[in-house]
Amino acid sequence: KCALLRCAPRSLPVPSSSSSSSELSAPLTGMLCVLVLVCVSVASASRDVGNNETRRDAAGEESPHLTNSTSREKVFPVLALNYDHVRKPFEIALWILLALLMKLGFHIIPRVSNVVPESCLLIGVGLLVGGIIRAIREEAPVLDTKLFFLYLLPPIILDAGYFLPIRAFTENMGTILVFAVVGTLWNAFFIGGMIYGVCQIEGAQLASVDLLSCMLFGTIVSAVDPVAVLAVFEEIHINELLYILVFGESLLNDAVTVVLYHLFEEFCHAGTVTVVDILLGVVCFFVVSLGGILVGAIYGLLGAFTSRFTSHTRVIEPLFVFLYSYMAYLSAEVFHLSGIMSLIACGVIMRPYVEANVSHKSYTTIKYFMKMWSSVSETLIFIFLGVSTVAGPHAWNWTFVVFTVVLCLVSRVLGVIGLTFIINKFRIVKLTKKDQFIMAYGGLRGAIAFSLGFLLTENETKSMFLTAIITVIFFTVFVQGMTIRPLVELLAVKRKKEGKESINEEIHTQFLDHLLTGIEDVCGHYGHHHWKDKLNRFNKTYVKKWLIAGDRSSEPQLISFYNKMEMKQAMMLAESGSAGRLPALMSTVSMQNIQLKQSARGRAIPSISKSREQEIRKILRGNLQNTRQRLRSYSRHDLFMDPFEDNVSEVRFRKQRVEMERRMSHYLTVPANRQEPPAVRKVCFEPEHRVYTYDDSESPRGPAARPRPGPPETVGLLKETLPRPNQSGECRTKAREEQEAQEEQDPLKLSRCLSDPGPNKEDDLSR
Amino acid sequence: LAKSCPGQETVTLYLRGVALRGRRPRPAPPSTSPPPASTSHPIKQEDNLTETRLVSHSQITRLYSRFTSLDKGENGTLSREDFQRIPELAINPLGDRIINAFFPEGEDQVNFRGFMRILAHFRPIEDNEKKSVAVSEPLNSRTNKLLFAFRLYDLDRDDKISREELLQVLRMMVGVNISDDQLGSIADRTIQEADTNGDNSISFNEFIKVLEKVDVEQKMSIRFLH
Repeated sequence: KCALLRCAPRSLPVPSSSSSSSELSAPLTGMLCVLVLVCVSVASASRDVGNNETRRDAAGEESPHLTNSTSREKVFPVLALNYDHVRKPFEIALWILLALLMKLGFHIIPRVSNVVPESCLLIGVGLLVGGIIRAIREEAPVLDTKLFFLYLLPPIILDAGYFLPIRAFTENMGTILVFAVVGTLWNAFFIGGMIYGVCQIEGAQLASVDLLSCMLFGTIVSAVDPVAVLAVFEEIHINELLYILVFGESLLNDAVTVVLYHLFEEFCHAGTVTVVDILLGVVCFFVVSLGGILVGAIYGLLGAFTSRFTSHTRVIEPLFVFLYSYMAYLSAEVFHLSGIMSLIACGVIMRPYVEANVSHKSYTTIKYFMKMWSSVSETLIFIFLGVSTVAGPHAWNWTFVVFTVVLCLVSRVLGVIGLTFIINKFRIVKLTKKDQFIMAYGGLRGAIAFSLGFLLTENETKSMFLTAIITVIFFTVFVQGMTIRPLVELLAVKRKKEGKESINEEIHTQFLDHLLTGIEDVCGHYGHHHWKDKLNRFNKTYVKKWLIAGDRSSEPQLISFYNKMEMKQAMMLAESGSAGRLPALMSTVSMQNIQLKQSARGRAIPSISKSREQEIRKILRGNLQNTRQRLRSYSRHDLFMDPFEDNVSEVRFRKQRVEMERRMSHYLTVPANRQEPPAVRKVCFEPEHRVYTYDDSESPRGPAARPRPGPPETVGLLKETLPRPNQSGECRTKAREEQEAQEEQDPLKLSRCLSDPGPNKEDDLSR
Repeated sequence: LAKSCPGQETVTLYLRGVALRGRRPRPAPPSTSPPPASTSHPIKQEDNLTETRLVSHSQITRLYSRFTSLDKGENGTLSREDFQRIPELAINPLGDRIINAFFPEGEDQVNFRGFMRILAHFRPIEDNEKKSVAVSEPLNSRTNKLLFAFRLYDLDRDDKISREELLQVLRMMVGVNISDDQLGSIADRTIQEADTNGDNSISFNEFIKVLEKVDVEQKMSIRFLH
């Protein structure tokens, strides 16, 4: 899996051809790159140990070769070496580059990545690098807590929260909460208690470990880790229910972990526990989780509100999303609230409004940057985990470690079975034994446990704890991570059903929602659907008006869904470049329909009067010309193509326009006036809410490519252009001003799809 | 139950699927008792046991109390006005259709049995029911749930959702601000996606097929009726 490739729009061909040709040399070059990078990073590590700090303070001092402090001749230094200056950013960039090259390398060698999950490979690389650094007796960078919690973890959580499947999450919220809270509590106390019992065994030299330390240890090691779960579950494509159960649990148990950790740490220092403290702990739990959600919600609403006004500065839109989310995380951490829950809440709340407000390009940017950052973070985390394993101080104690691993497994299994037994009494769709097994098996521990362990105050037991934690992490990630895929296949667990999003599903799901709400009202039962309906109504009447710009605030969900789908399809159509290649892009459903609908095509071509056809042509030309005039200005803040590209694309575009005219002429009998309007750089032709974007990547089609009456998809798309002229044709019978108003509206609608309007346009039109 | 279905000699009370038959007490002489209201239709004695295993005993009492609270006329049946008095149903886009679904063909009153019969569609599917090989499918099977939903689309009962029927439903769900043309294109797109046999409408099998990814058993079940 490559996270970027996974998210790539389907039209972008995966560059498999290039990789296959370079397969032979790729491992070799990969190894070479690794070696080079390792050497350089090691060199940099050694160099900063060797340099004193005072050197850097000296104003622009270069290496002694070239400057002369003793002699009075001032030789102008042509070339100087000043590594201190760029040391930190250089090393950071080097590490990230190493991580990414590793990721690249694993995918060029397909055999390995099929068997071993990526996380294991990355930890292996980390071990290797750590070993090399250790061998030359230098200090390796460690996965210190600040780096992990402030820089590496937030992107992953934000990515998870922003793209969380809300429907599945809310439907299973009860189950997830039970597993997260009760399950984690059970794990923590069971492991802590049993380990204390083990420590009391004579002959294990563990008598010095007191109960509170054991409980603290139990807390740290009990939490299921979202990073590890994501890394493994994404690769096995398990069905949505199981994914959301395990993953949701790993996200929501952060609150429990935070509270218990701070609780036990305080108690460790204080020494004794009273009942009041326990009660305060329970209160603290609610404060931490609800407070975190509140902080996230506030920032989410702020972000959504801000995005309402960004129509003039589209370029910085994605930054708002990232910054508000990061601030939510940091603000929650300030008060020791649950940063993870805050981040999730922020992403979940912000998303629907931001997506309604931002341009399509910004949406794509947000998506890609999030995936990119989370991918890099994940890679770095695993590599550093490997490095830290080699570097960290270890104290191996056979009894302790072995019992920890065994107890983790046992407690997880018992917890899942016990809780499922209780939960199944309340669930509509019960969890089967297979589900329970996968849930128990998928309880992976990861870097969060390690970082929390690192945070412990230094005492003699810390090294032992760290060793045990690392062993558990390695065991779960390697053994469980590697074997889960064959087990899933062996048990024939339901996999994720891939499929294109379908307007049918959306319509029918909404229909069923309304139906169920109605039935619940008839029964007098205030159930799940009732509250969801109330929330939707509240959202529609109040919240959307405040947070969504323009007329989209009253757009029904169905319409936005439909528009999004049509836009995606239109862009795919445009990027493919021709109608002939169209069938390859369409869904299989439509594919079947092509062959079967030969007879139905007659219905698709309506007959329209000549006056309306002329209306169509006029509006088409008018829009194209308007667009062209608007695009002539250039500004650094607009994401237009540069003027050089303009000349190249002009020719191409002229051909495309001819092509479009030709297609239209199939359905219009009025011959096109052959006046050639000046070519435009970019066209965004939007009848009603449809978008038909000619992208630069579209290959020019010569006159020979005359499409036959195209497949219904084309027909469908073009047919949808026709109803608008019907409407405008009717306007003709009304006053003249109305028609002009109509044409004025088209640029307005155009501005929706012109992702990055130039400043002139906004002066012309008042929205 | 006996009161709500007057005119029957025997009332069959289903307790956890086991039929307990009992005789209804003889009606008092006409001068002292209120005249029994006309019922919609008598309970057929030959009803299939599995078909009418509607809800559990505890739910019967709850539903019956709900039924009586809705029944303002106190005649043992519900009319359309009784349903329309429920405030949330008035703002539900599908409110009218849901109400109509309760009333059998051409009738204006629904008794408790009919009330329960419709609600039985929304009972969660239990595991033992899944395994049992019933003579006829229980009312709350996946197919029957989907059939209920399908019938709400397909008002003229021709077993096909035509474009006009789809347009009506879309119009109800979407509100008045969207133009007919746009709704038309959505409807066309919907039919095009679902239609496999080219008849420009959605048949029941096609309907089942497009919803195969949706977890209907969970979506169309109300825990209340468990």
